[in-house]
Amino acid sequence: MHCEQASQMMSARLDDCLDSTEIDLLEDHLAACSGCQAEWRRLQALDRLLASTPMLRAPLRVRVQVMARLNRREQTRRAIIGSTALALGTVALALLALAPVFLGLLDATGITPALISGGPATIVQLLTFLRTIWRALLVLIELVLIERSAVPLAFLGLCGLVIALALNGLWVGAVRRLRTAR
Amino acid sequence: MTNEAEWIRLARAGDQAAFGRLVGAYQTRVYNLAYRMLGNASEAEEAAQETFLRVYTHLHSYDPQRPFRSWLLSIASHYCIDRLRRRRIVWLPLDEEIAVPDRLVSDRPNPEAVTIQREREEQIQRLLAALSPTDRAAITLRYWYDCSYEEIAEMLNLTASAVKSRLHRARRGLAKMMQGETANAL
Repeated sequence: MHCEQASQMMSARLDDCLDSTEIDLLEDHLAACSGCQAEWRRLQALDRLLASTPMLRAPLRVRVQVMARLNRREQTRRAIIGSTALALGTVALALLALAPVFLGLLDATGITPALISGGPATIVQLLTFLRTIWRALLVLIELVLIERSAVPLAFLGLCGLVIALALNGLWVGAVRRLRTAR
Repeated sequence: MTNEAEWIRLARAGDQAAFGRLVGAYQTRVYNLAYRMLGNASEAEEAAQETFLRVYTHLHSYDPQRPFRSWLLSIASHYCIDRLRRRRIVWLPLDEEIAVPDRLVSDRPNPEAVTIQREREEQIQRLLAALSPTDRAAITLRYWYDCSYEEIAEMLNLTASAVKSRLHRARRGLAKMMQGETANAL
């Protein structure tokens, strides 16, 4: 047996991973090799030192701090989920409330066919579309306040708003439940 | 179902109190591993906290067929190895260098024994600090957790024969270093 082989077997012996034949082979080598005997003594001393050193006890605050960090993280997560969901819901419901007004107005101004046939295919078209909507909204306000000819349309918008508020209440309840779930 | 399995089940369902019990049951094992790997108390504490937060986050991916201890120690080991690899310069508070790991499982109120224990701890940390992060983890898992080659291999993503050879190499180096320290002290 070579000394290198014996050295590997010494380590395995410290781990109780040698069978009786291998132990005998190692013992025979150690009996004949003073260099390996010295190494074996060194390894045994190291083994005793490591094996007799107890585990360190964790400070009690570790658990407290973990739970505090977990709580903070959970609160942040819920706040993000809550505010995102509320924002998305509010926007969606606002669009829902205003949809009848927009549709009525688009019909009144006669631009619906143009929108349906073209559609906002590019960013420029989308911006044009949004500008048209904004102008249409201003026209609606003018019609309601000055000429009073669009009162039915405004009433329709009001109904949409009431429905949207009711749905918003339901949405807030759903979001609250979502925030309390993990 | 054991307490541990029940706590894991509840924690996976979002029960933080159950997770707190798991932390209580394993904090000493995780802290000791982090201390042996990182060599100072404040970093070990931070690493233990981070390990538990990672465990909580990834609890859904834990396979209940696998021992929880192995999974947990694997996360702790990888975290400490990464931290050691990122570390360039170690700035220790002055009191950390002579910090007494005085919270030992086997408390010894005798002042002489405490001094001996302190010297032994300092010697062990000096020895461990000479090893590469992975070898340090292998030695720690072998001696303080009584893990087999296969368990260490699974935790550190190595083969069992690689673990065997790393342990051999680490022991050989440490034994020589220890002998050198003893010779210098005489």
